[in-house]
Formats: sequence, C-alpha cells, structure tokens
Amino acid sequence: MNVKAISTDVLLGIVPIALLVAVWQGISSFGYAPVTLLPPPGLVFMRLAQQLATDTFQQAIIATLFRLFAGFSIAVILGVGIGLAAAASPAVNAVVRPIVRVLAPLPKVALYPALLLLLGFGHESKIVLVAADALFPILLSTYYGASMVEQKLIWSAMAAGTPRHQILFKVVLPAAVPSILTGCRIGLVISCIVVFLAEMITSTEGLGHLLVTAARTFQAVDMFVPLITISLLGLTLNALLQALRSYLLRGFPEI
Amino acid sequence: MMVARMLVSRLAPLLACLGLLAIWQAGALTLSTESFPTALEALRAVPAILGDRESLVNILASLRRMSIAFSVALVVSIPLGLMMGRNRFVACFFNPLLMITYPVPKAALMPIIMLWLGVGDIAKMLVIFLGVSLPVIYHSFQGARAVEEKMLWSGAAMGLSAAQRMIRIVLPAALPEILTGCRTGLVLALITMVTSEMIARQSGAGNILFNSLDMGQYDIVYAMIIIIGALGIGLDAAFERLRRRLVRWSEPGFEIPLSFA
Repeated sequence: MNVKAISTDVLLGIVPIALLVAVWQGISSFGYAPVTLLPPPGLVFMRLAQQLATDTFQQAIIATLFRLFAGFSIAVILGVGIGLAAAASPAVNAVVRPIVRVLAPLPKVALYPALLLLLGFGHESKIVLVAADALFPILLSTYYGASMVEQKLIWSAMAAGTPRHQILFKVVLPAAVPSILTGCRIGLVISCIVVFLAEMITSTEGLGHLLVTAARTFQAVDMFVPLITISLLGLTLNALLQALRSYLLRGFPEI
Repeated sequence: MMVARMLVSRLAPLLACLGLLAIWQAGALTLSTESFPTALEALRAVPAILGDRESLVNILASLRRMSIAFSVALVVSIPLGLMMGRNRFVACFFNPLLMITYPVPKAALMPIIMLWLGVGDIAKMLVIFLGVSLPVIYHSFQGARAVEEKMLWSGAAMGLSAAQRMIRIVLPAALPEILTGCRTGLVLALITMVTSEMIARQSGAGNILFNSLDMGQYDIVYAMIIIIGALGIGLDAAFERLRRRLVRWSEPGFEIPLSFA
C-alpha cells in the first residue's frame, strides 16, 4: 500500500470522528441542549487540559493505572501459565476445562460485592476484579494457541535433540505468542473497562471515582473529562501493546 | 468405556460447580466472619428471592431489557461488521471511531445518558446496546475479511448480485466468527445489565444486589451473586448449544492433543 492510499484511509477515518464532534458542537451552540446537560467540546477539552496539570487528577490517573497494571499482570501470569499447562498435560486439562467453562461466562462484576466484603474498599478488591475479568480471554487464547502448534515443529525439535522438558518453553511458547498477544489485547481493554467500573461502584480515588463525584454534583463537564481520559489511556496502552507485538513477532511471517 | 467417558465429560461442569461451592463452604467455615456466609446459607436464600414477587418481577424486567437490547444490537452490528469486512472504505470510515470507543466502559456512560434520557428503560437499553455491539461488529468484521475471494468470484461469475453474495456467501462463511462475537456480546450484555442497574439504582437485579449490600443483608448479596452467576452460565450454555448446531460443519470432529510429554 502506498503512502497516498494510507493517507486517504486516515482522512476517511477522521471523518466520522470530526462529524461527531461537529454534531456535538452544533447541538450545544444552537441551543438544542443546555450547557448543563451537554457542554460544548471546546469547554470539555479545555477542562481536560486544565485538569491534567492538577495534582489530584494526576494522582487519580496513577491510582487507576496501578490497579490496572497489577490486575492485568496477575491475569497474564496466571492465564499464560494455566493455559500452557492445560495444553501440555491432559490431566491438568481435565481439571481446568470444566472450571473454566463454569467461571468464564460468569459476570465477574456480580462478584464485586463479595470481593468488597472480603478484601475491603482499597486496591485489593479492584485488582482482584480486574485480574478475574482479564484472566479468561488470555487463558483461552493461550490454550488455543498452544494446542494449535504444529506437531511437525515439536518432532523436529525432538529430532534435533531438545530435551522433552524444554520443548514447552523452546517450541510451544514461542509458537503460541501471536495468539497469546491477541488474548492480552482483549484482556487489556477489559482491564481498562473493569477498573473504571470498579472505581465507579465504590472507591475513594481514581478516574471512576472522579466521574461519580461529578455525576453526584451534576457537573457535566467534569463527567466527560474522566471518560475521555480513560479512552486516551486505552488507546495509548493498546498502541504500546501493538509496538511490543511487532517487536516480539519480528521474525514471524505477516499475521 | 465410551459411555463412561461421555458421562464424565457431560458431568464435568457440574462437578466443577460443586467443587467451587465446596471450596466456598470450606473457606467460609474457616474464616467464619459475618460478612461471608457459607455456600449453604446463600443457597438457602435463593428460593426466598425467587419466591418473592417483587424481586422476581425485577429480575425478569432486567432480562427483558437485556434481550431487547441484545437483539437490536445484533440486527445493527452484524450487517455493519460484514460491510466493513468487504468494503475498504466502510472499514476505514468506522474503524478509528470504534477504536476510540472500545476502551470506554459503556456502563460509565450511564450517568451522562441518565442526564439526557432519565433513569428509565431506554437509558439502560442504550447502554447495553453499546456494550454488545462493539465485539459483535469486530468479530463480524474479522469473519467477513477472511472470506475466500475465490468463492466470491465464483458467486459473481454465476450471476449473484452484490447483496446476494453478501447474504449467501459472506454471511455463512463468517458465521462461526460472528457467533463467537455474539457469545462475547451475551456475557457483556449481562455484565452491562448488572452495572447499569447498579448505577441507576431504580429496579432490576443489579439494584437488589447492591441495595442488599448497603443494608448489610449478606445472605441476599451472595444469593444474588449465585442467581446472576447461574444466569450467565445458563445463557452461555444455551447459546453454545445453538452455536454448535449452526456451525457444526466448520468444527473438526475430534481434538488432537499435543504429544511430547
């Protein structure tokens, strides 16, 4: 694809976003909606820039990011570990498979009251909820990635003299990396969503808490600011993961 | 031997449920705090909730909102996703918009939407609709993109119009992927349903759950968790049956385990 085609694609993609902002601006400037319900976009983005410089807002972002990363890392470690173990050993698979079938479709948010009662209102309950929600997509994609590894690759490694206990880490894990990363991407988006929701339900800090406080005082401008922030955070993290992906998969054919 | 194995694989999820409940029971007995009732106590509170007329009406109203929003989302998202998959311009048009809205928690829009539309059914259904449509669009898009060009060319050569090709070639070919998206969407619909009711606090299953948490009725909290969890598992299992029936042709008949150990 040449440069011109890419730039047309980008331009085309900006159109609906620009249109959305234009409609938003139009509705508020022609007075269809009072400013208290729908503040004009200029005001919201000004407010965002203003808030980003303040200490309390930065601390809210840090609290949210900490919970997000802690939960996500736990989910990645457990998900990849259990997924690989289930793919490698039929015994583990027999135990893990029914448990996953029961727990994966369970709406984890419903568990949040129980987590609150058990772990308190601090970081722990949120981190556990994020980990529980992000775990299953990562686990499932690791499992599918690892069980789709071509048997020929394993045979060749064995023929080349790789000890059997090393095959899991030298052949199966690298071959499953594309699938694992896809799972991580889904898990990351879910983590963003869940951490925000958990903070909205009960919290004393974080972006979700800012939204709830704004909603209680009917400050419409302040309600948009955390939402835009979490969207930007999600986009940034996604881009970072994409960069990691193209670095890790540099030897792979185009996937 | 075959029969025994079939029976075990049928019963395995049930055994897993019982095992998890047993772990819960053991954990509650060792902790023995008031805020963590045993599994048996929670299970005993389930019939009390389902027998109560008002809470039953609430839960059914939640399910009604969820199913309406879910169906509307499917009707809108599947055609959109398929068109994005087959037409580069449509894809370029919608992709960035979807990318920036993906990480936004849809239930977090609830306070804003409540300002505009009130706390009624419409606001909740809109939020569920938004939550369901993104994964369904994404999976339909991926499914439609992976359709083999040759099949489309043969279809065109045999005189199918563009719309007919869409319905008779792209839709069936993308169906396995679309249904995967629908399954994710179904779980998300349930999650968004609970969270939207928890924020709007007016009626529904989420309202019962968090009200009882605020009032310290811990057995009801855990009983509601069991009910919502059972709903999730039940809906997912029912959908999985439907999915298996619809796309049986696309699945390998047997699984090949990795062998190196």
